[in-house]
Amino acid sequence: MILGLDVGGTQTDTVLIDKNGVFYESKTPTGDNLLETLALALDKTLTNIDPTNIERMTFSTTMATNAIVQGLLADTGMIVSAGPGMDPALFSVGPSYHVVEGCLDHQGLEAMPVNKEAVLNASDLIRQDGIKLVGIVTKFSVRNPAHELLISDWVKNSFSHIALGHQVSGALNFPRRITTTYLNAALYGLHQEFTNAVIRTIGKKDLQAPRFLLKPDGGTVGLEQSLYYPAGTAQSGPAASVMGALALDGCKGNSIVLDIGGTTTDMSVVLNGVPLLARHGIMLGPFQTLVRSLLTRSIGMGGDSEIQIEKNGNLKIGPLRKGSPVAFGGNIPTPTDAMITLDLIRIGNGEAARDAMEKLAVPLGLTADKMAHEVLKHTAQSIAVSVNDFIGYINSRPLYTIHEVVQEKKIIPDSVVIIGGPAPQFADYVGKALGLPYRVPSHFGVANAVGAAVARVTSEISLQADTQRGTVVIPEADVQDKIASDFSLEDASSLAREVIKKQALQAGADPSDLDITITEKEMFNMIRGYSRTGRNIRLKMSIVPGIIPEWNRRKQDDTR
Amino acid sequence: MIRAERRTGLIFFPAFDWAISPTHPEREERLLYTQDQVLEEGLLDIEGIREYRVREALFKDIRRVHFCVPDEEAVTTRSHLISAGGCLVAADAVLKGEVESAFALVRPPGHHSMRVVHGNRGFCNINIEAIMIEYIREKYGIRKVAIVDTDCHHGDGTQDIYWHDPDTLFISVHQDGRTLYPGSGFIDESGGPNAQGATVNIPLPPGTGEKGFLFVLDEFIMPLLKKFQPELVINSAGQDNHFNDPITNMNFTARGYATLNARLKPDIAVLEGGYAIENALPYVNVGIIMAMAGMDTSYVKEPNYDRDYKPQPADITLYIEKLVAELKDLFLKGNPLKTEFKEGEIIERNRNIFYDTDGIDEKQHEKLRCCHDCAGALSIESTSSLGQHIHAVHIPMFACTACRDIALDWHKKAFRGNFDHLYLQDKVRGVYEKV
Ligand SMILES: [Zn+2]
Ligand SMILES: [Zn+2]
Repeated sequence: MILGLDVGGTQTDTVLIDKNGVFYESKTPTGDNLLETLALALDKTLTNIDPTNIERMTFSTTMATNAIVQGLLADTGMIVSAGPGMDPALFSVGPSYHVVEGCLDHQGLEAMPVNKEAVLNASDLIRQDGIKLVGIVTKFSVRNPAHELLISDWVKNSFSHIALGHQVSGALNFPRRITTTYLNAALYGLHQEFTNAVIRTIGKKDLQAPRFLLKPDGGTVGLEQSLYYPAGTAQSGPAASVMGALALDGCKGNSIVLDIGGTTTDMSVVLNGVPLLARHGIMLGPFQTLVRSLLTRSIGMGGDSEIQIEKNGNLKIGPLRKGSPVAFGGNIPTPTDAMITLDLIRIGNGEAARDAMEKLAVPLGLTADKMAHEVLKHTAQSIAVSVNDFIGYINSRPLYTIHEVVQEKKIIPDSVVIIGGPAPQFADYVGKALGLPYRVPSHFGVANAVGAAVARVTSEISLQADTQRGTVVIPEADVQDKIASDFSLEDASSLAREVIKKQALQAGADPSDLDITITEKEMFNMIRGYSRTGRNIRLKMSIVPGIIPEWNRRKQDDTR
Repeated sequence: MIRAERRTGLIFFPAFDWAISPTHPEREERLLYTQDQVLEEGLLDIEGIREYRVREALFKDIRRVHFCVPDEEAVTTRSHLISAGGCLVAADAVLKGEVESAFALVRPPGHHSMRVVHGNRGFCNINIEAIMIEYIREKYGIRKVAIVDTDCHHGDGTQDIYWHDPDTLFISVHQDGRTLYPGSGFIDESGGPNAQGATVNIPLPPGTGEKGFLFVLDEFIMPLLKKFQPELVINSAGQDNHFNDPITNMNFTARGYATLNARLKPDIAVLEGGYAIENALPYVNVGIIMAMAGMDTSYVKEPNYDRDYKPQPADITLYIEKLVAELKDLFLKGNPLKTEFKEGEIIERNRNIFYDTDGIDEKQHEKLRCCHDCAGALSIESTSSLGQHIHAVHIPMFACTACRDIALDWHKKAFRGNFDHLYLQDKVRGVYEKV
């Protein structure tokens, strides 16, 4: 039995899955206290369930995002060394940010040693501020982590926790490495408290099975293993929806996934069962990070969006939600009221909803039914405009090789999968507006919790080898080795494969479910003065987001 | 989030799968470290810097500029088309007003490609700036364009294409042709009879440093641009003037390039040469992008700057001061170089052109109608050592009726049997033919 729990802005969704598929789903209002909400949702879910039957559980958490938005980040010092480029003062973050001398070039060669005196001085200043947490980041540390390791060694006895830049991601982006490292350090304590509390809570309920947290890339990481990378578990809600749609529908072909909620609609694209990843990392509050994420876009358009009639008589839906629908005691009419008017759903005060539509309709010379129909049509059309804009954005991403330009595969969606509370009511309208066939999978209202429950552990590593220098580096896994001059692409592949396997197993992956994909593979001859002096090899390998085998083995009976 | 002062478009096409030959300097790896540096700096995250997708230029785009022998397909590869197409994307971004300026960081380069193309010269097959400018003229109705070529090599291809065009001010700053390929670009090369003074060459002595380049810019190029009043300024941003460059002898720096760009404020910059791919290009390109975006470039510096950069010696400073004084006399205060030609006079010239990369010899016979009203009718007979013999006629975009008529007449009268191909480039009607 598998448990999935997704904490959303207003509702926390829970599902239980057995060998026949989803057999339980519930919703609990999300309160101010995350742990209370969690306990409440688990209480509800586990009534009549023997907790020892639970073999696996995944939670999504809003802890990190909330902490960032509410300004609860712990005071964290930063020691940064940059070298040429932008003024590193521009990337200042946290209350005690210090730039020290030292420089690595783009190949990871030392251009200037780190100034030890400056490091110790910075460390003293941070400690004088009473700060116990520190992040250490150097430019190009993913090419050579030596400076970060050296600084860390010099200051290790002065701090309770140190976060290092090169471990965050193999991607090149110094400013994002700084913010992500900062967040990992600043969230460390809170995240530790949170995971401990979760462990206590589930312990009390006799839940002993492996437990995971969902990440924004649609993958999971073992709860205990997430400790050092709390930023990596922030804002996984949209990923939960995508993975849910993938599990429940399969998303064959080029599918758009729409999760229509009360306040917002989230969109994403899944190509033959593989969700598209964002090119850069996710944005957390005001911070651009290196945290890998699915490519999603959110718009202020949902069942509870505000309906306005503009001066020229045009309808405007959203982007704000101004309280409940009229059917639930609100003052402003919403698409939900339109659905109730058209008898698409029977909830709330139907008469109030119809009155609200009537009021909108009269000045336009329409009936309440016609008005409601127009509202849903207009909402769907607005969603379609945003979807097309999103697809246009995806299709305009830069291409760097002739091969890519010649191949130029434009993504043309061929169907739309709609999930979220009002999915069935909106589906026909949205399908028509997009001119695409649509599907609403079973359990559409808790697809996010299903997604959390069945998402596999993901992992990514970046290898760079330089045979001229005789080095290979895999920063995320702290691998730095000497290589021979005949080190080949095949050697690189087998090393990377070994390392990612180890890393994924450490993160709690199922050894029988290691679907390793090479996401980037480049080899350059290094030419110096009309002759070849070496090879520069770059390899990115990942375990891409996907669904655990247990789900695919279920009896296809989701209709219960 | 960091914000750019000026909205800047970036078109990056490193052509990671193309090289002239396996060990040629114009190779796959050339922009690899530039890409690394640009990504690591986080420049693409800056609000106001927007990266665009490249596209392929069409043969039609090439025909606005070149006579390709035997045809476009034979003298280009996909990579050339995409490199030129990247410039067209830059042009659209700027002229549609999506960005204030754009940088086409593309390869292969183009500024050694002349109007007639038999093959590859100086790593170039087609002139990507000229293709961009003629596209802009046709699509956006722009007439007066200035090109400032800051590549270390004389931009002889661009000079050839605009030699007769009074609407294009071509300024090339380069290492003195007596010391470097292609061996041209002297002060007295100042434009054809109908465009005298619209070609300006600034041959600088080997060893010219930050001080010299910026002196030339401030004292001469900026006032010259002010005088010409272009609607658009293009920078052929070759980066081989760098002190780390392996195939040249100049002494320029990343910060110098950035400062030059910040002062010149080109609407569009296009990468040309530059082969110090590890220790110059990454820093120069970052400097140029930041300068275009109006950002502070004072922290842009090569890691070996303090150790290896030697300020410009005093004798070079003196030489450059004298050179600039001479240039000012020639181009800013009237134009004593100007020779009077009679309206309607036909001037002929013979030329030999060598294609170093492909080892081709070309002989040209050129006829030009002197005209006080337009760039003049132009015909070229060209024979290559590959055995191709062509007749090509060019009618400039703003041709007067007299020039147009005589050009059409030249084209009609050329005897098909004498040539492999007859070309007509009628820019008035936008008609490009080959028989
Ligand atoms: Zn050059
Ligand atoms: Zn004329």
